[in-house]
Amino acid sequence: MQQHSQNADFSQRPYEPITREGESLVATHCAFCGMQCGMNIRVDNETMSVLGVEPRYDFPMNGGRLCPKGVSAYRQAEHMERLLKPLIRKNGVLTESSWDEAYDLIVSKIKELQAKHGKDTIGLYSGSSMTNEKCYIMGKFARIGLGTKHIDYNGRYCMSAAATGFNQTVGIDRGSTGPWSDIKFADVLLIAGSNTAECHPLSMPYVWGARDRGAKLIVVDPRQTKTALVADIHLDIRPGTDIALTNGILHVMINEGMVDRAFIDEHTVGYEALEEMTRKYDPATVSEITGVASEKIVEAARLFGRAKNGFVLFARGIEQHSSGSDTVSNYVNLCLTTGKVGRKGAGFATFTGQGNGQGGREHGQKADQLPGYRKIYDPAARAHVASVWGVDESEIPGPGISAYEMLKVLGEEIKMLFLVCSNPMVSAPSVGDVGEYLKKLDFFVCIDMFLSESAELADVVLPSTVWVEDNGTTTNVEGRVIHIKGIDRTPGESKRDWKIVCEIAERLGRGQYFQFNSAEEIFNELRAASKGGIADYSGITYDKIDRMNGVFWPCPSEEHEGTPRLFEDLRFNFPDGKARLLAFEHTGPNEKVDAQYPIILTTGRVVFHYLSGNQTRRIEALRKLCPDPYVEMHPNMAAKHGIGNGEMVKISSRRGSIFVPAKVTQAIREDSLFVPYHWGKQLAINHLTNPALDPKSKIPEFKVCAVKIEKAKKGEIPNGESAVH
Amino acid sequence: MAKVLYIDFERCIGCRACMIGCEECSGHDHLSRMFVDELYPGETVATSPTPCMHCATPACAESCPVQAISVLDGVVLSASHEKCIGCKNCTYACPFGIPRVDETRNLMYKCDLCYDRTSKGRPPMCVSVCPTDTILFLDEEEARHKRNKPVQYVWDFGGTTIETRTVIGIPDKQTHKFGYH
Repeated sequence: MQQHSQNADFSQRPYEPITREGESLVATHCAFCGMQCGMNIRVDNETMSVLGVEPRYDFPMNGGRLCPKGVSAYRQAEHMERLLKPLIRKNGVLTESSWDEAYDLIVSKIKELQAKHGKDTIGLYSGSSMTNEKCYIMGKFARIGLGTKHIDYNGRYCMSAAATGFNQTVGIDRGSTGPWSDIKFADVLLIAGSNTAECHPLSMPYVWGARDRGAKLIVVDPRQTKTALVADIHLDIRPGTDIALTNGILHVMINEGMVDRAFIDEHTVGYEALEEMTRKYDPATVSEITGVASEKIVEAARLFGRAKNGFVLFARGIEQHSSGSDTVSNYVNLCLTTGKVGRKGAGFATFTGQGNGQGGREHGQKADQLPGYRKIYDPAARAHVASVWGVDESEIPGPGISAYEMLKVLGEEIKMLFLVCSNPMVSAPSVGDVGEYLKKLDFFVCIDMFLSESAELADVVLPSTVWVEDNGTTTNVEGRVIHIKGIDRTPGESKRDWKIVCEIAERLGRGQYFQFNSAEEIFNELRAASKGGIADYSGITYDKIDRMNGVFWPCPSEEHEGTPRLFEDLRFNFPDGKARLLAFEHTGPNEKVDAQYPIILTTGRVVFHYLSGNQTRRIEALRKLCPDPYVEMHPNMAAKHGIGNGEMVKISSRRGSIFVPAKVTQAIREDSLFVPYHWGKQLAINHLTNPALDPKSKIPEFKVCAVKIEKAKKGEIPNGESAVH
Repeated sequence: MAKVLYIDFERCIGCRACMIGCEECSGHDHLSRMFVDELYPGETVATSPTPCMHCATPACAESCPVQAISVLDGVVLSASHEKCIGCKNCTYACPFGIPRVDETRNLMYKCDLCYDRTSKGRPPMCVSVCPTDTILFLDEEEARHKRNKPVQYVWDFGGTTIETRTVIGIPDKQTHKFGYH
């Protein structure tokens, strides 16, 4: 494997994979999370069946290392619960049917409903765990296949606050300013709202790489996560108070002269307002708001402020709030006020949750976006994309609405929904309401490889392939475009997602815009569509990705080697080249605790499961390790409510309730509860979460809502235990 | 020089990739030979993996009535399919509780340092997949001396001293800094 210099500081290891007789290795990447770790899939040469996994030691990001999800990801390929034929609801029951029947029904419904209610009556709710090619084709299919403005995607619940925060502060939304290897060269790491060890385990070699060089680690989290366990300072923050905390850190750094005035003057605007804003956030005041001891705030500010190089890393813990995008900007302010950006060891990043959380938010499946991170209301962007697509600019609809807003208008503005690669019956906030919204639809089509909780409600379910059965690219947490190599097979009658929408377009008489025979053909059109945009992929080819083990965007020409590190020239993506230092007041969560609902609930992931669990809950090895949700509760809270370890607890919010066993642990704040979110139906903690949206990014406030608890009474628990599996 | 497992407790995140990865080694019949334990449940989230410690004088092999457990180049192998009678003597004799018995086949199985991989110059599966480098495959001398923290490979079980080839990097218990005590 030819290595490129941009990979020199990564974590590859000098071993070849083991090959076995009668088998081939497919050098591809994991399906789960934005790290997109390299792995080899073992395939039987004769039957093409998937046999196992073999480390891909030479891939820079992970050097063959894998988390438990990665090790067992392949086990979904031969899974007995895979959908192998289209299902049509007949007499109320989803029944195996032919593709022709399914297509005929879908196309007749599209025509009937669009004739009656207009083009925008169809909605497309897609996902960011698909390849760039699929994400791109979904945006195109909605706009010029269906002709609807209504497309948005589940990344709205995931990456949208980081995207908006980055855009408003530095003018470009690439998840990391530098290659992941840069983390190793930081003198201080500030990790906020990210359980890195569990949710992005393969980032830990980089954290340890920095630690081994003497770097200090500051972790901001209401829980003692595995990451917080090994921190020098754990800022055990009250959920929903990150803006106050960051203002407090800024306050100390400004007061003690640790900000870089030369950098601020030359490369930013807005410092005076920020200084003014943070003046009242002294450590004592911030301690009162955040629940973090004031000495720890001061110590963290000094560690970060005095370090030459440093990285700020964050995730959904700070983003899934009604002030999520501003919180992102305020964390970035820590780097910008101290000049920590644009070089090895200095920068900021968000941990991409979904497999293609980065690429999926760049190429046109967002409500207001066209490929290349272009804005759909920008006339020049519309003209460019129209010319690539070969349509008149007027054929491209205007901006639609965000994912949760789409769900709310089902049955009204949107009568028919395509749901692709997403499971909102687990992942949306207030899922009880979402179930009601979905029931109001005239017609509901779902594309998935397993019958998810959402697919169960559909009128037609179309069987798609698993990730390793298609070629394509994804863009990882760093902004590195990588190549997912697939096995050339489609079990049963399953089809690839892109093939399905192209065939529907054909039957709608729009086939001339969807003549693709391979993922690579789609990618080549994506390259042209993204050319000149912010996320410019025009110089990236499959061959180049393979040669360089991934190419970082922007890559504006075939001669260009990609851009591993942004802002090396300290010019930010605004006409004046200056970053925006924006100032924010702490307002707290949308729903505050009160006498009736006195406890804070926060939610998140565990290492064994991915997103809505539609894949990982079916993999026995993972399910065995974490079969059901639970509630983490501090011993003092447990004692106060007479709850013992393992006893069933009823947790209720204004929107719903759940019964889960208590896991009594000192690893959580006394005023908060934590429940993982990977389950559906009566095990879905999202029955309780607050659908309040951040007005800028429209991300829902998953990370904090007000609840009450009581010990479950005998006979009160529906169906006893897990009903999902 | 012989290579051994080195385990740095502090880095373990309890993800159990080693346990599932262990199933993926060709010689392992999809049966995991790794263990991961919560060290102080309810107090901290500290965890640690336990593979076979590969004792210099393995009690499992000594206790085996049919001599099914052999030692090859210092690696205590899994029981021989032909000889093992599934009596579990080894499970009871092992001070670390490592050997398990597959009840359906009445056959003991344990870590063989992925003989299938190490014999071909590749690290064992647990080392290959461990996402945090908690488990490393190092030259024995390096594992015993060159690390940046105290190590342990001699254990006292009620007066009986056991030397192991697997080396444990001892977490910082004095300052209790990382939740270990």
